[in-house]
Amino acid sequence: MGTVTGALPVPAFGIRVAAKPRVDYQNTPEGALVQRAQSGDETAFREIVERYQSKVFSIIHGIVRQRNDVEDIAQQVFAKVYLSLKSFDFRSSLITWIYKITVNECFDYLRKRKVRRLVYESDLSEDEVRRVENSEPAVDRQTPVDSSLAQRDYILKLLTRVSEEERMLLMLKEVEGFSVEELAEKTGMNENTIKVKLFRARQKLVKAATRLERTPGLVTG
Amino acid sequence: MHTVVMESLEEYLAGALEPAAQRTIEDHLSACRFCREEIRSMQDVSQLFLSLRTEEIVESSPGLYARVMQHVGRQKARPSFAGLFGLELAFGRRLAFSALLTLAILGGYLVSRETAYTGGPSPEAVMAQQESPAFDSAPAPDNMLVTLTAYEH
Repeated sequence: MGTVTGALPVPAFGIRVAAKPRVDYQNTPEGALVQRAQSGDETAFREIVERYQSKVFSIIHGIVRQRNDVEDIAQQVFAKVYLSLKSFDFRSSLITWIYKITVNECFDYLRKRKVRRLVYESDLSEDEVRRVENSEPAVDRQTPVDSSLAQRDYILKLLTRVSEEERMLLMLKEVEGFSVEELAEKTGMNENTIKVKLFRARQKLVKAATRLERTPGLVTG
Repeated sequence: MHTVVMESLEEYLAGALEPAAQRTIEDHLSACRFCREEIRSMQDVSQLFLSLRTEEIVESSPGLYARVMQHVGRQKARPSFAGLFGLELAFGRRLAFSALLTLAILGGYLVSRETAYTGGPSPEAVMAQQESPAFDSAPAPDNMLVTLTAYEH
C-alpha cells in the first residue's frame, strides 16, 4: 500500500509516466503565423481571429450563457490577445494561451456583473429591491429551477476558489475532455506536473464545496 | 489519498483505465475508507463540469476582426499612468532606476555619516561618570538616565 498525501511534500506521481519531448511550437505553421503577427503583420492577426473565433465564442457561451454578451467578451479576448501577443513565448500552443485568456475574461465578466448587481441593489430601498426581484426575468437573478443551471452556477462559484492556471487545466480536462498526455502537449508542462496540479486543484474544489455546504448563504450569493 | 489511487486518478475519473488498473484501484477503494470518500467527493465535483459543456453551436458574427481592431484602438487611446506624464515605457524604467540609485547613494552617505558621529559622550564615558557622579544633588541612577538620554539624542 502506498503513502498518504499528507505525508508527501510532492505527490509521487509519474513512476510509470515517461517524459515526452516537448513540442517546438515556434517551428510549426501556427508558430510562423504567430511570429508574423508579433512583428506587426495585421493579416496574420486577422487569420488568428478568424481561425479561433468560433472556439472562443463557444467557450464563452459555455460559461456565461448570455448570448448578448458573448460578442463583447470575445472582442475583449481578442483585443487582449492582440495587445499581449508580443509576450507569447511559445511554451504552450496558441489555442491554450487564448483559452486561458478567454476563461479569465469570462470570470472577470461574471465578477463585474455581480458587483454591478450589488451596487444597483444597494441604491434601492428594500421595497424596490423586492419589486425588482419579483419582476426580473433575467437568468442571473432567478433561483435556478433547472438543475443544470444550478450546477453551472455552483461549479463557477467553486472555480473562483482556484488559481487561473488550475482553472484552465480543470476546464481543459473536464470540459474540453483532453487527456493528461494532450494537456502536457498543449501546455508545455510534463505529465507529472499536470497530474500534481490537477490533483491539488481538485482538492481545493472539494474543500471549497465542503465550506459552501456548511454556509448555505454562500451558495446562493 | 494513497499513491496507488493518486497515480491513476485522472484516468480513473475519466473512466479511461485499463481493466487491470481499474481492478487494482477498486480493490484498494473497497479496503480504504479515506480514499473512497475523497474520490467520491472528487467524482461529485467532476460531474458538475458537465453543466459547462455546450453542444450548441454559437455562430461568430461576421466582421469580428474589424470590431476587435476598433476595440484595440479605444484601449490604446485610454491614458495610462505613464502616459499621464508623457513618458515612454523604457524611459520611465530608466528614470525609476536612476531615482532608486540616487536614493541608495544618499542613504549610504547618511548612514556613513551617522557611524562617524562623535558628538556625544561614548558609553565608556557615561559609565565612568556613573562611577563618580557629577551632579551631587541628584541620585546616581537618575544622573545616568539623564546622561543616557542626552547620549541618545
